[in-house]
Amino acid sequence: MPAEDQQRRRPTLERASIPLAVIGGGLVGSAARTAAGALAATPAGAFPTTTLAVNLAGSLLLGWYLARRERAAGSRWGLRFWAIGGLGSFTTFSAFGVEVVQLVEAGRSAVGIGYVLASTAGGLIMAAAGEQIGRTTR
Amino acid sequence: MNTVLAVVAGSVGALSRYVLTGAVQRRSQSALPLGTAAVNVLGALGIGLATGGLHSGSLPLVVVAGFLGGFTTFSTWMVETVRLGALPVWRPAALANLLVPLVSGVGAAAFGYYLTR
Repeated sequence: MPAEDQQRRRPTLERASIPLAVIGGGLVGSAARTAAGALAATPAGAFPTTTLAVNLAGSLLLGWYLARRERAAGSRWGLRFWAIGGLGSFTTFSAFGVEVVQLVEAGRSAVGIGYVLASTAGGLIMAAAGEQIGRTTR
Repeated sequence: MNTVLAVVAGSVGALSRYVLTGAVQRRSQSALPLGTAAVNVLGALGIGLATGGLHSGSLPLVVVAGFLGGFTTFSTWMVETVRLGALPVWRPAALANLLVPLVSGVGAAAFGYYLTR
């Protein structure tokens, strides 16, 4: 996804604004993820509903945003702010990984496998659905 | 206060992810998006180490988790896998991009967790 964003030879001013867009989007995405965690905290060893919901919603939104952006030729700034900074930070792989370990640690391996399946199958379906919506609707 | 620090740390994590993903991607000859895989596996190792008990009292776990939450990304991994050809018919590259980060990421979290506990 960031391949488009990794081109060399950019104007100096644009180069300087890159970290600001990623940091700004990162603030928004991290704040939303932190708020979700505070509103619906799940204890270690319980089914991680909040992380699952965040990751599925983020996958849908990112698929939608990128597909829509390709049609409408959106700005690079928007890509960095919303896609890379915002939705990249909103969703999390690290929490997903450690939650699987904690479920196994709590003796709930079957639930852990269910969590992996729900996250990956669900995430792929949401990303694909988002792309479809972004391609076909205004 | 820790909540604010966790959010700020998450945005620093996002910038770190952008830089590291780009650095890996520029050097990579692979058809797979190894930059995303690299940040995710590295971040999973980090959260495993921190949760297992490596984190010191000076840096609360929520701040470390905030940084790593911004550093790693689930949505990019999913969209990139779909774009490699995951649904409805699976191409080998998409399957590899799903399974390699999944197994090595959960493995890295487990490794870090049990190493420091």
